[in-house]
Amino acid sequence: MRFTSFLLVSFISSLVAAETHTWWFETGWVDANPDGNFERKVIGFNNSWPLPTLRAKKGDVINLYLINGFNNSNTTLHFHGLFQEGSAQMDGPPMVTQCPIPPGETFLYNFTITQVGTFWYHSHTSGQYGDGMRGLFIIEDDDFPYEYDEEVTLSLSEHYHKTSDELLPSFLNRYNPTGAEPIPQNALFNESRNVSWVVEPNKTYLLRIANIGRFVSQYLYMEDHEFTVVEVDGVYVEKNTTSMLYITVSQRYSVLITTKNDTSKNYAFMNMIDKTMLDVTPPDLILNSTNYIVYDENNEKPGEYFVDSIHDYLDDFYLVPLNKERLLDDADHVVTIDVAMDNLGDGINYAFFNNITYTAPKVPTLMTVLSAGEFATNELVYGTNTHPIILQKDEVVDIVLNNLDTGTHPFHLHGHVFQLIERHEAIPDGESPVQFNETDHAEWPEYPMSRDVVFVRPQSYIVMRFKANNPGVWFFHCHIEWHLDQGLALMFIEDPAGIQNNETQQLTADSINACQKLGMPIEGNAAANSKNFLDLTGEPVQHKPLPSGFTARGIVALVFSCIAAFLGLFAIAIYGMADIKDVEERVARDLNVDIDDDDDLEPEGEQSSSFEHSK
Amino acid sequence: MVNVFNVQIFFIVFRESLEAVVVVSVLLAFLKQGLGAATQDPVVYKKLVRQVWLGSILGVVVCLIIGCAFIGAFYSLGNDIWSKSEDLWEGIFCIIATVLISLMGLAMLRINKMKEKWRIKLARALTKVPDKKKDRFKIGYLAKKYCMFILPFITCLREGLEAVVFVGGVGLNSPATAFPIPVITGLIAGIVVGTLLYFSGSTVSLQIFLIISTGILYLIAAGLFSRGVWYFEQHVYSNKSGGDAAEQGSGPGSYDISKSVWHVNCCNPEIDNGWDVFNALLGWQNSATYGSVISYNIYWLFIIVTISLMLYEEKTGHLPFLKNLTLAQLNPMYHVKGKKKNELTKEEQNALFEKVRQTNIGQDDEEESSLVRENFASASSEKPEKGSL
Repeated sequence: MRFTSFLLVSFISSLVAAETHTWWFETGWVDANPDGNFERKVIGFNNSWPLPTLRAKKGDVINLYLINGFNNSNTTLHFHGLFQEGSAQMDGPPMVTQCPIPPGETFLYNFTITQVGTFWYHSHTSGQYGDGMRGLFIIEDDDFPYEYDEEVTLSLSEHYHKTSDELLPSFLNRYNPTGAEPIPQNALFNESRNVSWVVEPNKTYLLRIANIGRFVSQYLYMEDHEFTVVEVDGVYVEKNTTSMLYITVSQRYSVLITTKNDTSKNYAFMNMIDKTMLDVTPPDLILNSTNYIVYDENNEKPGEYFVDSIHDYLDDFYLVPLNKERLLDDADHVVTIDVAMDNLGDGINYAFFNNITYTAPKVPTLMTVLSAGEFATNELVYGTNTHPIILQKDEVVDIVLNNLDTGTHPFHLHGHVFQLIERHEAIPDGESPVQFNETDHAEWPEYPMSRDVVFVRPQSYIVMRFKANNPGVWFFHCHIEWHLDQGLALMFIEDPAGIQNNETQQLTADSINACQKLGMPIEGNAAANSKNFLDLTGEPVQHKPLPSGFTARGIVALVFSCIAAFLGLFAIAIYGMADIKDVEERVARDLNVDIDDDDDLEPEGEQSSSFEHSK
Repeated sequence: MVNVFNVQIFFIVFRESLEAVVVVSVLLAFLKQGLGAATQDPVVYKKLVRQVWLGSILGVVVCLIIGCAFIGAFYSLGNDIWSKSEDLWEGIFCIIATVLISLMGLAMLRINKMKEKWRIKLARALTKVPDKKKDRFKIGYLAKKYCMFILPFITCLREGLEAVVFVGGVGLNSPATAFPIPVITGLIAGIVVGTLLYFSGSTVSLQIFLIISTGILYLIAAGLFSRGVWYFEQHVYSNKSGGDAAEQGSGPGSYDISKSVWHVNCCNPEIDNGWDVFNALLGWQNSATYGSVISYNIYWLFIIVTISLMLYEEKTGHLPFLKNLTLAQLNPMYHVKGKKKNELTKEEQNALFEKVRQTNIGQDDEEESSLVRENFASASSEKPEKGSL
């Protein structure tokens, strides 16, 4: 009896404790000068930029009304790292879980928070979050496992002067055959540069760091101070102290920083772009950015701080989750994907998972799940170019990812955190890529690190493991936005029956409205065929590959040229054999030469002189 | 094997020397056949032969100088000025070479139809220094007098430059020991082919030899025209894609798909051994563009049309459908120099003919007809005094 009343009380109190947050945000272009050097347009909420840092607690209900205030762009919003349990259609990626929101329309993102930690939100429509539509989402924890005095947030990003509308066409272009990503101009620290962080001595700060950029990873290091990592991507970890952090885009680290005892000096707080990710490093690009830990504003500002090596960063593979979750059981389902970049028949450089470059279907995949009935467990209905992988309820999944490319890539899985059970070292450019070998690989850790974004090294591989316990359609993609634009994505369709049978997963009015306003169907397979789900005629497919060898056109051209040459030679032969009357004077006339002035050749000489006489 | 003999260097040197040697040996054989057989004027013959040799050697010397300058700049300043504009230079050289060869080829065919003594007279007239000082510097005059110098000079200069810079760049990966043998053997191989061509030309009937060698020259010229256009397109693509497209090898990204007519990932004249010879002689590209294919065909069309017009005019005295027009009148210089006024009308020609015949009664037929021709020629020359009676 006492137990049940205890339960009742705690249940009621949790209800009371849980808040509902209602936010109204309208997107729009705003003037800003984030790096202080260049005024440009950025995407703001309610006419202001940077976007607000959202705060909530576990158990809270979120009602975010997103109003598309653009004139001619669609938009979406993704809450990075949140599991969206039972609310897959609130996840955000267009044509995966929803139709994009057309201009003037409103979309209600409604879901319940079931996690704690440092998260962020951003547009999932191409180019928009790079133009500024991004912000932090902090889910506070009353039972935070570690002691700290004050919480501070830090966002990192690279910065471009041009907008995505200007950058994307020249990037996805046959005159960019190597797929060289556009080079940023500099880096931002809390959406600004040369930022001062005023601290008090002898305090422990909780610094929630998020890389909200779209391309380069960054190194973080401080002069004479250390980071103690306590959380990654919403997962608490055992304390791990380091002097340098390496953060890829979309990753988060929460660190404890204990300030010094004396206030006689100010210290530098550096963020540095990983230049190995840049195609070229222009000489005017500022790689290292200096910010200031200010103990006393009267002290002078610190200069740039240099380190001897950038190889001593914390390798997140060695973090141990605080909850000591063991390595999951052996996988029921192993997904092996090879990452490669190549050119297709339009000359443009695309990115591939196993020779498939993600090509969006005509109907959002989640809506295909909801409308396909018994066919929802057949991968075919989701398209042959969308790379769908169906997962059974609660099965353990291994993703073996072989990176055949020479670049570093941060991969993100929606709807889950996963265990990173192996990451192989980088292989230099000249050598062949190393792929995962089932019979010969490193030993897997007992308590693997878990997070939702993990990087793979050049020409190397990673192995990830997670349990498919969250029915939904989850995007898996490289978080470098340029590569996502190139199609480096696939989808996990987890427990389709579970989605169909769950009341909360049924389409909301806003989901239906967004599609209808765009003229897109809300039912059907990837080719928008709702009568015959197995008929994919008309589905969007990737471009044909480059022709290798002679096409019909080439053979015709070659034959024609040979014929032309033969005819030409024939004409020369005829001319050469022909007799010409009066060839001498013709030649002389055409070369404009006198050939009668000679007095040396006897017969002609006499004639001319006699001719002259007769004049 | 690679340490003393770099195959790529051999083929580069062989191919470059082949093109140059073909042009030079055809010219020499032409001179020998045309002017040397009858030893009526060895002076003129030697003069022209000397021009050819001088042109070739000077071309090689100048290209060595320029090539070393490029290589020196590359190594010392790290400034690869050659590769930035390489395609542009190649394209310009190709177009210049094709124009020169085209003009020379047909002229040579025609000239050799003339009777021996006329050829000699022509040669002498070409090499004669005009009386008036200012005439000495007229472009037209200089071009004709030194034509035997210009063509080999430009050809050797272009070929040599390509070879020197290529070898200088290629050699980066090879030890110094891999250089001398392929360079020497490449040169020898090229010279052997040229010598064969020259001596075969001296034995075969002149007309046949000329037809064959002119045919070869025009194949090379057609290839050059096509290559010139190809290089220009490659230059544009390299600039647009912000780098050296050739560095992509033969794979995707080394060419512009929107302009491609055919592309094979092998047989690339730029990097595959042996195919560069095919490219030099016939203009083969592993990655053909609309520009290169169409220009090749247009070149041959142009040659066929020009030859047909020339044949027609020579048979009938005027161009088809246009009774009063001749090919010479299509040349703009014709009107500029006011040659028109020097041409006699039909009546004047007949009158002249009559006059001359009357004056020269008693001479034999051959001399009479040559006299008639001579007067006719002089009548249309630049000396009006002779024409008027």
